[in-house]
Amino acid sequence: MSANAPHRAPFAEAVRSRTLANGARLFVLENRFNPTLALSGSLRAGRLYAPPDRRLIASLTAGELMKGTARRTKLQLAEDLEGRAASLSFSSDASDPVGVDLGGSALSRDADLLLDALVEVLRMPIFPAEELDKEKKRLVGAIRQQQDQTSIRAYEAAMRRIYPAGHPLYRHKGHERIAKVEALDRTDLEAFYREHYGASSLALVVVGDVDAERVLDRLEAALESWTAGPSPTLAAPMVPAPVPSSETVEVPDKASADVVLALPADLTRTDPDFLACSLANSALGQSSLTSRLGVRVRDTEGLTYGIHSGFSATHIAGPFTVSVTVKPEMRDAAVASTLDEVRSFVAGGMTAKELAEEKSSRIGRYKVDLGSNAGIAAALDAAIYYGFGVSYLDEFPAKVAAITREQADAAFARRVKPDAFTVVSAGTFRAAK
Amino acid sequence: MSAGAFELLKEKSGFREFRLLSNGLSVLLFPNRVAPVATFAVVYHVGSRNEAVGHTGSTHLLEHLMFKGTPEFDRAKGTAVAAVLEAIGARFNATTWFDRTNYYETIPSDALETALAIESSRMRRALLRDEDRVPEMTVVRNEFERGENSPFQVLYKQTFATAFREHPYHHPTIGWRSDIEGVATSRLKEFYDTFYHPNNATAMLIGDFEELDALAAIERHFGAIPPSPRPIPQVYTVEPAQEGERRFTVRRAGQVAWCGLSWRTVEARHADTPVLAVLGNILGGGITARLHQALVEKSLALSVTVVPWQLRDPALFSVFAPVRPGVEPSQIEAVVRQEIARVAAESVTEAECEKARTQIEAEVVFDRDSTDQIAASLSEAIAVADWEWYADYPAHIRSVAPADVQRVVLEYLHDDALTVGLYLPKPAGSPVDSEDGGKEPS
Repeated sequence: MSANAPHRAPFAEAVRSRTLANGARLFVLENRFNPTLALSGSLRAGRLYAPPDRRLIASLTAGELMKGTARRTKLQLAEDLEGRAASLSFSSDASDPVGVDLGGSALSRDADLLLDALVEVLRMPIFPAEELDKEKKRLVGAIRQQQDQTSIRAYEAAMRRIYPAGHPLYRHKGHERIAKVEALDRTDLEAFYREHYGASSLALVVVGDVDAERVLDRLEAALESWTAGPSPTLAAPMVPAPVPSSETVEVPDKASADVVLALPADLTRTDPDFLACSLANSALGQSSLTSRLGVRVRDTEGLTYGIHSGFSATHIAGPFTVSVTVKPEMRDAAVASTLDEVRSFVAGGMTAKELAEEKSSRIGRYKVDLGSNAGIAAALDAAIYYGFGVSYLDEFPAKVAAITREQADAAFARRVKPDAFTVVSAGTFRAAK
Repeated sequence: MSAGAFELLKEKSGFREFRLLSNGLSVLLFPNRVAPVATFAVVYHVGSRNEAVGHTGSTHLLEHLMFKGTPEFDRAKGTAVAAVLEAIGARFNATTWFDRTNYYETIPSDALETALAIESSRMRRALLRDEDRVPEMTVVRNEFERGENSPFQVLYKQTFATAFREHPYHHPTIGWRSDIEGVATSRLKEFYDTFYHPNNATAMLIGDFEELDALAAIERHFGAIPPSPRPIPQVYTVEPAQEGERRFTVRRAGQVAWCGLSWRTVEARHADTPVLAVLGNILGGGITARLHQALVEKSLALSVTVVPWQLRDPALFSVFAPVRPGVEPSQIEAVVRQEIARVAAESVTEAECEKARTQIEAEVVFDRDSTDQIAASLSEAIAVADWEWYADYPAHIRSVAPADVQRVVLEYLHDDALTVGLYLPKPAGSPVDSEDGGKEPS
């Protein structure tokens, strides 16, 4: 309604970028409305690149980067960053087997502090043994804590059933993970870092109240002498054929149970069908309030507080899952209604109204999500990580608008076979009548 | 807009506060052109604080029913609130807490009319049908059950139930299970008719808008709604001083114990609130914080969370920690007590204070990165005090000195005001022999 609504130049024009000789790609967008900056980035050193029996080396290596560098101890780094309200993080988990996520934020007066810490941590981590020992103890406790969570127990058991051991999306049982954690030492992390970290797969995005050329110069000067490192290839694992099965994981003393319906889906984020599948899924089950599953299982039947469906598509094709929480006695009714809705959705497809609403929703939400430095940084980072380029942000609304009902229905039905689900429940069923 | 429909009450730090003269609706505007996006929110001054035995959880259940239908936005007509908002790409929800209920939508700024129409419609015209309550009750009951799955939620609910005996902070916002199940639709309707009125609400608009256009639109949608026919009932129950330490234990099956220590403190408006916020940061704000160093870095706890609760009435200062398996929960309690005693005896350093002040001030700056974050912070401020409390917060934080921190520890964090809670895993009792579950370490 504003006559002076902020006009944004196309991202393809506004984002300044530089590619260094060692392969590092740097992107900066000036957005001067608030004196802050957001940092987002990635490199390819996720669990896909770790030995199949010790995938967790990848997440531990990412997590331990901040535990000390050749210049600063963990505590000194934390004091320098926390003292200025800046934050910096590195993480990698099974939800994206390929990447390591970099994230950070700072007041713009502290941009140099944040960028310098980022480069120092990337280039000279030392993985102190005493820090790893502490982290191993904490992690063993955290894994045990997860064993109490019905959502995690159901999801992990489902992944064990639909993916073979050795697949990057396979999840080991809690006690197996604990044994693997306990067997690690710092040389494992150091070796993984040496083999898999380097500039060639690094992409960094900075958005906020900064001078773009200055940020690019500073990052270039700090990163240009970093080793290029490996050029990680994407040896995507086979998508296994679905073998339907079911399992109940008994977790005592839980008032609510979690049910996960899962199948391996042949869909990566870079697949030309991704947007079509994603729109179809929105109509089926993205929202507990408005999608078909939500309207039936939550709104009409009152069986759950939350029901969601979705593809887990990254560079690797992940599962399609429906997750629902229920009072244990209501599990069978919730599963039956869920499968019934999925069947009729796959058989009949979306209505024209659903497609129109999902499109306008996606395009509107896209504007809303770009309403902050962190939101813009995340969107740019994803577009670059998946090889779409900066212009993807400009083209996105048109890409959504172009999807047809036939395309969405066919793409979805090719990947989601209602009779192919593995159904895993976790909760307290013994006492339930 | 008809001339003089609004009275400008005050402006400060970019905020402008108006009152809609026809019905007393408080309107707060904060232009922020970070993107072509706006957040519209309505905060009602009603929360679980306004409930009593028999209808605990009513505020929250009512909030759920507010999505079910009005004459204009009704699922039966294909115009359900959530569907209409979803179709414009809004990020929306509603939440209930001790002191307030809020409804908000972040929208492309050209869709403001839709948000105003929805919030105006449900302010007085919610249908609140019994056929909607029945399935929604089980939805909310599942939300309650999900909370019961979480040791942290169980611990904090029990902490409030123990520390507050007379004041309604005693019961959780979600309510007690049997009240959720038993409350009648007529009781919810009565609650709605008592508290949902323009003169018990604040509407806020943050983001990309023109002030005159926005005020005109707000008047168009809300101006005809009459004020409440009767005064809004006020809570008069006061929790008396605590006169000795209280303890509780919850035992359930599980893997990890939790320990919580909570002291009775002050209401958000109290001058010591910023001091307690600084203390909270010094004890629990990041890796460098004292309790992180004493508990997590010493491998006693898996993490530690410090919460200086800021509520309308006197609240708590809490420390919660999941205990690393193999460590006695009593060790956590002892260390927390030692660290509190150390602040009482030796105060804190100026450097610690400066770090805390910087971090808390920065949070306010980071809020302004997005319209929904400002709206969220502002909603809490309005619920526990008023918007100026939010606007003045950074200055109040800036004035906190180490001696203040030591003083509030001496004044509030003493044993007579303390509630200690333990969540203990039951010894492996009933055998669990499913293929997967039975083989987990215990």
